[in-house]
Amino acid sequence: MLQAIIGGLTLGSVYALIALGFNLTYTTTRTLNFAQGDFVSVGAFVGLGTVGVLTAALGADAVGYVWLYALAAVAAALAMGVLGLPLYLAAIRPFAGKPGMSWVVSTIGFGIVLQSAALSVWGLGARMLPAPFGDEVFRVGEAGFRSQELVVLVLAFAILGAFDLAMRRTAIGRCMRAVALNRDAAALMGIDVPRVMAMAFLASSALAGLSGVLVAPILSASLFMGVIIALKGFSAAIIGGLTNPRGCMAGGLLIGLVESLTALWSAQWREIMVFLLVILVLAMAPNGLFGRKLVEKV
Amino acid sequence: MKNTTSTGTASNNTAPARPRLTALLGAAAAVLMTASLQAQAADPIKIAYNGDISGSPSAESGQIGVLGIGAAVEDINKRGGVLGRPLEFLVRDDLGQPPKAIQNMTDLIDREKVSVVFGPTNSGNALAWKHIANQKRMPVLVSSASSTAITEGPSSGNYLFRVSMVDREQASALLAYVKKNPEAKAVGFFVETTGYGQAGLKDLEQIAALHDMKPVSIEKFDARDTDMTSQLSKAKAAGADTLVVWAQAAPLGHLVRSMEKLDYFPKVFTTWAASFSGFPEVAGPKLMEWPVFLTTSSERKSAEAESLFARIGPKLANPSMFWAASQAYDTVLLWAAAAEQAGDTKGEAVRAALESLNKPVAGMVKTYDKPFSATQHEGLTAADYHWSRWKDGKVVDFNDPVLAGLQPADFKK
Repeated sequence: MLQAIIGGLTLGSVYALIALGFNLTYTTTRTLNFAQGDFVSVGAFVGLGTVGVLTAALGADAVGYVWLYALAAVAAALAMGVLGLPLYLAAIRPFAGKPGMSWVVSTIGFGIVLQSAALSVWGLGARMLPAPFGDEVFRVGEAGFRSQELVVLVLAFAILGAFDLAMRRTAIGRCMRAVALNRDAAALMGIDVPRVMAMAFLASSALAGLSGVLVAPILSASLFMGVIIALKGFSAAIIGGLTNPRGCMAGGLLIGLVESLTALWSAQWREIMVFLLVILVLAMAPNGLFGRKLVEKV
Repeated sequence: MKNTTSTGTASNNTAPARPRLTALLGAAAAVLMTASLQAQAADPIKIAYNGDISGSPSAESGQIGVLGIGAAVEDINKRGGVLGRPLEFLVRDDLGQPPKAIQNMTDLIDREKVSVVFGPTNSGNALAWKHIANQKRMPVLVSSASSTAITEGPSSGNYLFRVSMVDREQASALLAYVKKNPEAKAVGFFVETTGYGQAGLKDLEQIAALHDMKPVSIEKFDARDTDMTSQLSKAKAAGADTLVVWAQAAPLGHLVRSMEKLDYFPKVFTTWAASFSGFPEVAGPKLMEWPVFLTTSSERKSAEAESLFARIGPKLANPSMFWAASQAYDTVLLWAAAAEQAGDTKGEAVRAALESLNKPVAGMVKTYDKPFSATQHEGLTAADYHWSRWKDGKVVDFNDPVLAGLQPADFKK
């Protein structure tokens, strides 16, 4: 039971990071980045590549692996964040704020381009990114954990908390909230709306890249791993309410827990329960548990 | 003056030019004639590989299979080809997708007019197009896909032959061992929810029934699952001391990682999937040595195998997948032997010859002495498999007294 709860919260916190990414772009631009999953997978491989390059350049034991891993995480977040900008410019800006769904296809297309390019570099196979604090299992009663599960749990909560704080206390955070609340009024108040939108894409892509490096030592990295993580992240955002960042985080944790507790009973029912929950929540609260209704002007 | 000079020059040149031109024309004609004669005598025979070399995780075995076939084609062409004609090798990637595989198949048969098709990588794709091969009388030598149903054909004529693992045979071998092992008192079956895992479970259940063996636990997991602790807890509670696992490489790796989390280490017996790169990659250097699995050739024992390995080994990311090249190499040799015996490359003639090969064919995996018959289309069966395990990063032979005591009668299928 404890095993399932820790496992569920670990993956749930990653879903929460992805859900937060969906929330950021949705509130500022009314679009979603459907390439989010590919940013997760490619981010993991950028992390793997960084570790490889640094190990080759510095020698295996020059610095502790913990630092290499930290650098890899930063590199993945930066690389994916920077890639979020061309995504915004090419796939979102022409359509942002306009009615229609062209951005759905353009973001999916961007993801396919990204994945195919990565496939030609790294190939198909699953790779294991070593965990920064070792792969040993330590035990609490009957249950066993790996250090990386706690790393993910702690870091993800820290990042979620920091984001929550930044959105309320910093200038850029306030700008984002202003744009989310009313784009036209924000523009009239002198906020550079396109810049804020670009920042939202940068942040959400960086979150995806970072998530990739975080989960790679647990799930093993493959270029196909992102799809399902992003789908669960999206479900989390839908359950929690796309417009509410805290709701998205709660949604992620909820999905993670439902998933792992269902598996205790029957692993095959896991996905069924997750998506039943999505349907149930939507039927009762169409804007998610903590969401707010947005009127789309057409 | 100018004119004179130019005429003079021209006339000076004309005299030697005429014979040169004639000689040139003559030479050209001779070259053309020789070429057309050569073309008639040695019009290449087209052969093809149709399988996944890029789309799915099993594409690895497809890529290596293509290297093996390429090496066999090179060797056969060096000794003069088949029926005096060189072989031309075409490669079609089906991306692991059945519709693409079907499209490739019809294109290869109808437009490219190939004489034989090798492959595929994924069982599902073989099942998707095997009716086309049988209808169009196209010999197919399966070099990788292992689903039992692939070589089950219509009574009107079955054109699919295989030199690879067969799931049913693997299940038969694994359960023969489990039944014989006095330490295996309670067995659990762990399978993927994919078609591969489900077909494997069916084979396992049927063969277990033949042995009068009842699994104490049957657990399933998704191929993308990374945490199987809940399933393992149930098997542990049921007292399973031996697990027979039917899964692809990466989930198999996650299964042993989950075993470590629970500190529950039942004996694990599994298929050749454990030799694919994804397994050691995910399981890590310590846990990867736990399962015992089957391969068609774990250690290279013959000089020929060593020499083939020297040629293509450097191109392999995972040298432990060399078996994929050996099997594929053998499929070409068997087809070539059949075509030579039939004196023809037509489908019916080659099929009949394959079913009654009158000379042994020395291949990489073994020497094939009458490998096929009208009812038997498997080049390799349970008794040919090697019991293997990972040791220090390499796949090595597994041996123990139980294995040594296995008799042909123990293999029920």
